[in-house]
Amino acid sequence: MTPDELQDYLGRHQTAGVLASEVAYGDLRLTLDADAYVEVAQRCRTDERLSCDFFDTLFGIDARDEGFDVVTVLYSIAHRHRVILKHRCAGGRESPVAPTLTHIWRGANWHERETWDMFGIEFEGHPGLAPRILCTENFEGWPLRKDFYLGSRAAKPWPGVKEPAETDEDGNVIEKAQLIGDAPGPTVLDELMAEQAKRVNPRQPDLAQAEAQAVDAAETDADEEAGEPGEPGEPGEPGEPGDQTAVTDPAPGTERATEQVAEQAADAPQAAQETAERVRREAAEARARKAAERAAHQGETAAPAGSEEADPDPPEATEEGEQ
Amino acid sequence: MSDLSTTEQVVPASAPGESMAIEVASVVDGDFATQDMTLSIGPQHPATHGVLRVVLELDGEVIRKATPVIGYMHRGFEKLAEHRDFRQIMALTNRHDWLSGFCNEMGVAMVVEKMLEMQVPDRAQWIRMLIAEWNRVLNHLMFTGSFALELGAITPMFYAFREREDIQFLLESATGGRLHFTYNQVGGLKIDLPKGFLRESRRLSELVRKRLPDYFDLVLGNEIFQARTREIAILDAEAAIDYGVTGPALQAAGVPEDSRVTEPYLKYDQVDVPVHTGELGDGFDRFYVLLKRIEASLDIIDQVHDHIPAGPVNVKLPKIVKAPEGEAYVRTENPLGQLDYYLVSDGSKTPWRLKMRTASFSNIAALSYVLEGLMVPDLVTALGSIFFVVGDIDR
Repeated sequence: MTPDELQDYLGRHQTAGVLASEVAYGDLRLTLDADAYVEVAQRCRTDERLSCDFFDTLFGIDARDEGFDVVTVLYSIAHRHRVILKHRCAGGRESPVAPTLTHIWRGANWHERETWDMFGIEFEGHPGLAPRILCTENFEGWPLRKDFYLGSRAAKPWPGVKEPAETDEDGNVIEKAQLIGDAPGPTVLDELMAEQAKRVNPRQPDLAQAEAQAVDAAETDADEEAGEPGEPGEPGEPGEPGDQTAVTDPAPGTERATEQVAEQAADAPQAAQETAERVRREAAEARARKAAERAAHQGETAAPAGSEEADPDPPEATEEGEQ
Repeated sequence: MSDLSTTEQVVPASAPGESMAIEVASVVDGDFATQDMTLSIGPQHPATHGVLRVVLELDGEVIRKATPVIGYMHRGFEKLAEHRDFRQIMALTNRHDWLSGFCNEMGVAMVVEKMLEMQVPDRAQWIRMLIAEWNRVLNHLMFTGSFALELGAITPMFYAFREREDIQFLLESATGGRLHFTYNQVGGLKIDLPKGFLRESRRLSELVRKRLPDYFDLVLGNEIFQARTREIAILDAEAAIDYGVTGPALQAAGVPEDSRVTEPYLKYDQVDVPVHTGELGDGFDRFYVLLKRIEASLDIIDQVHDHIPAGPVNVKLPKIVKAPEGEAYVRTENPLGQLDYYLVSDGSKTPWRLKMRTASFSNIAALSYVLEGLMVPDLVTALGSIFFVVGDIDR
């Protein structure tokens, strides 16, 4: 049967469960009530005029706040037609459930296992959804849900040099609304990481605070200019995690450190100045980068033209800041 | 049989001159008392060509229950696709089934074109068919070689790779790639064919056709091959359809289902696509169908040579390709079976959901059914003849 004939056929015998039917892009898609799902699927299989014996595929779709949809694609080898069944799972986003089709088609087994693995949709009556079919057994979370962030995207919003800006007819950049499932972006990730670090080690000082301290200390050092030759270029607390200058600083207390101190005592003022300048430069760079990212993230609409203008180039901005 | 129950003096070959008393077997009423054991094949076993693991529950040499364990190569294709625009997805899709890269990427291009209702130039469609069929020949030659290799015949592999090398050289001249072509784009192809491609393609088609009988004689005519595949690892039509098995495995069971014929896409309705079927659905039939599919592909390639028109190979795309809101389904015949893409778009430049239904996933779902009751050595026949690529299962 052609999709239109199918629609007439299934429409005429319409059960209470069929909420809507449409022929889109050459395929008939029935939107079903969750309760009628198994019944209609069974009918697709057993009805001689339908006889959808071939189990094509089954998968989930994230339906935003309303939970999850399950789509089942059935095909008839004899009649060469296809029926797509779609229904919304009961249970919302918290505990989505759908009935199983494994008693009608054996092929449904693995597809339902995959859907459970990816979305956490429980299929009632399934012979065994666990262990997870594709993910590792100890994997936590449901990866294809939109609230599951793709790690690499959280670190880098777009895989490429520049995200192509979307423009309207006049060439103005269209502001992008934050959607559920959008990558949180680098600033959010920074915050998350800082939070996590704090939880792991509560005594560890805040990274931003440490940076500020390092800059301050370096500045005072540079100002004093070898006021204390014993401590050349030692801004902030040494060995502090996240302190960028700590790497080059001699660790106090060790023999090697004392040797270095003796060596460096001669040109201490210069070293202190250099360190201070480097710290300041790095901090300025970091600030400029963060600002650029934030600007890029919050939408380039502020600037009227294309994204090139709206997106400041971090190194350039840094140089300007220095001068 | 009762002779075995006695204690025998056994002389181990490793220690000549010494003998030891061994209880050979305990026999009860003429039956062997056997013990169930669980044997794990893989994930790194040559017969599974890839990282597929099969947990077997054995009663002696007979497989009582087989559980395929998959997912070792899962990399979340569908999640990755949701974070890339339609141009970038092409480079993702030709990697999961590394033996049919072109056919994979073609499906994505087609589903996006379907949603955009885009008119793809004729020349691009014919070239897509041509390359897809060459890709199919490449894939099937690989399995011709590897299946025979798994059964202990080394020679067919060398023959298969001789042809594969030529074909890959041909495709490389057009696409620049040997495995990951990335030749498709939404609306057509990246670039036109190079000069002299069709002439070389014709020559190669003749060459492969001339050499094809060698495979039939070398492999199918081999007595050992026949003994190891005939009436072994049978996948009947009813079960195959129920499990959603497609491709050579389904055709070998006697079902002439091939989407190039039943639901023609591109220009397959304008060419004659021969579909060969088997009878029993055993390992031998599946291999026979596989070889016949090479022949069929060469037939199609010859027809494409006569049809291919002049003209552009792609359409000019906007800076950002966005599929309109809605859902579309595309079905193509991949070398290993049916490949579906189901695209759900919310109107943005990345798909909201891109479901890929791969042939290998559904084919291997039927593995436990096929293996039940087989002997352990026949496992190799079953694994080799239900054609799959592990990347295609795990995605």
